[in-house]
Amino acid sequence: MFNLPTTNIGGQELFVLEFGDIVAYFSPYTTALFVFALIFTALAIVSRPEKQMDIAFGGDAYYAKVVDPELMRFQRFMAIACGLATLGAMVTGDVFNFTLFASLVGITNIGIVAAYRNRHVLNAAFQYGIVAMLATVPLFGGAAIVVASTGTLSMWELFTGAVAVPLIAKAFLVLGVMGEGMAPFYVAKAEITRAQGAPFILMVHVSSLLLFLRVAEIVISM
Amino acid sequence: MDAATYSIGLVVVAIGLIVGFAAIIREKDDLHRILLTDLAEVLALVVIALVATDLAEALILPGLVVGISELMAVSEVYIAKEGLKAPEGPPFHIEVMDSAPGILALILVAYGIVLSGFTGGAVAAVGAVFYFMCRGHAEQFELIETVSGYAWAIWIAAFFVFMFLPAYWFFGVMMAGGAILIKVMAKMSLVGTMRRGGPNV
Repeated sequence: MFNLPTTNIGGQELFVLEFGDIVAYFSPYTTALFVFALIFTALAIVSRPEKQMDIAFGGDAYYAKVVDPELMRFQRFMAIACGLATLGAMVTGDVFNFTLFASLVGITNIGIVAAYRNRHVLNAAFQYGIVAMLATVPLFGGAAIVVASTGTLSMWELFTGAVAVPLIAKAFLVLGVMGEGMAPFYVAKAEITRAQGAPFILMVHVSSLLLFLRVAEIVISM
Repeated sequence: MDAATYSIGLVVVAIGLIVGFAAIIREKDDLHRILLTDLAEVLALVVIALVATDLAEALILPGLVVGISELMAVSEVYIAKEGLKAPEGPPFHIEVMDSAPGILALILVAYGIVLSGFTGGAVAAVGAVFYFMCRGHAEQFELIETVSGYAWAIWIAAFFVFMFLPAYWFFGVMMAGGAILIKVMAKMSLVGTMRRGGPNV
């Protein structure tokens, strides 16, 4: 019954999961992304926060930085939630669900970046939050234009040659994902790649990378 | 909606977006930027609403929820960033807050029950919120929570009626309408108690 109309990007579908008219699917491409996200979610679950030493320059003295368990727990929860949202975005077969998962990734990324008490980190998190909120405009706008011009949100319909998706909708989708996937830029800006609780920051990079790869597949196939 | 009207709507939204984004670029105060961002997000809901079908109606609610949760996250970051604390001192009080609540709450709750459903719950809840905000409160929160929980269970049961006993759809509609009324009202009336709450609010 289900045959992925375009096979040039994702390959044939391997497994199809049907929730009413929303049909999630695994093609070789999305399966690879899914497994990648799954590995990093598992890593976020099992990993322990990095403990850091500050060395007083010019002497033998050093002191250990304290990891606040409250913040660490919050950050780990957000990292796991981010992993789950990424998993959802990888397999969904519905454009609007993809945009919802993308904005969920955005929200959890705000949480991961915001779990610090430093003012400059919070500033970066705040600016990312503004960008992520603004990105929901083109993201939902793109999905709305898709449904207005084609009458469907299902990728199974949109990937066929019979349905033409306007260029502006594709551009909006990419623009929205760019906004939501902007988090690594702010991680670099706040210089927290190797801060306390370092392994959980990885999830920010993983999720935005996977979102970009997935939106490329969707936009090219449409 | 025909294509011409839709295009006009899109043009209006585009103008709104340009104005909103220009305002965000010019604004330097962080609090105002949050407010302007929320305004821009409303335009995303407008774009969805322009589709004007049942599907669009179903898409607006998740869009709204995502928008609100992002707004809450960014506001929390703002509070932490600025180190803001809840204000101390006696709450705001004027004379009309002693005389108006009874009658206004009565009218709103009665009208909400007539409306029933989600809208009715919201209208009735506005009455309850207003009453609690003005008059203070001394009720048991556990009771409200319990009622709200049962109402939610009835609401879910109504969906099972729709799915498994479609012949009894009218009964299901009545169950869902009444339960969601109580549910929304109970939840929102808790909001009204936040202002003069106990020691930890």
